[in-house]
Amino acid sequence: MKHQIKLSREQQHAAEHQTQRQAAREFASTEELLRYDAAHTTVPPAIARRLQKSTGDLPGPKANWWKRLFGGTQP
Amino acid sequence: MNEPAAGCESVAEPPVDLASSEFSSLYAENSRAIYYLALRFLGDPQKAEDATHDVFLRAFRKLDQFHGEASLRTWLYRIAINHCQNLRQRWHDRHVFSNADDAVWENATARTDSPLRVLETKELGQRIQKTLDGLSDEYRLLLLLVADEELSYEQIGALVGQSPDAVRGKLHRARKTFAVLFEKTA
Repeated sequence: MKHQIKLSREQQHAAEHQTQRQAAREFASTEELLRYDAAHTTVPPAIARRLQKSTGDLPGPKANWWKRLFGGTQP
Repeated sequence: MNEPAAGCESVAEPPVDLASSEFSSLYAENSRAIYYLALRFLGDPQKAEDATHDVFLRAFRKLDQFHGEASLRTWLYRIAINHCQNLRQRWHDRHVFSNADDAVWENATARTDSPLRVLETKELGQRIQKTLDGLSDEYRLLLLLVADEELSYEQIGALVGQSPDAVRGKLHRARKTFAVLFEKTA
């Protein structure tokens, strides 16, 4: 019985360790850490809605601005 | 800032539909980078949201002045950095940390080559923010910019007004300081 309890505790410890290992994550550098953080950051949809509203009454950018960016080929 | 392009028609264009214009591509491709910079530089999601909106609104108004000397991403970063730095200056906050970096670095015993280990990724954002808050504006900005793989040291140098070599040197210290402070947030 005592042996069983010991096994059970070892199993429990192993399970906890396994869970911890799964949750742990290593980053080789500060850049890697920040890139991971950035990739998991969601841009609030409210910004696009606000921009839509803010730009709605404004004249658009001059029609040819994209030509300077894309070499004259309209996307 | 670039001068307005010569020969541009002065006739006002019709209002732009954000969902169907080239501007929407500009937003789609760069909004995460700009929002992330604002979020981690300002340390406040609401302020970051406002700042990102303001940056893209400014870009929208000034797009016809963009001559393509720099990449669009770099141009947007310049607007964002100026805006965020102005906001921080206005708030007069966190000046006590301005000289903290060197003290941390000089007393550091942390192994900079060792990986940054986190047990719980759910709290990662909070730990990163806390760590960045402990850095000077200069180090924080350099780390956030170098994390963008689209930017070269030359471009980062141009954005912060320093040579690429100076950027490399400061980044070395910034990384080390970050590692020391990050360990303390565990």
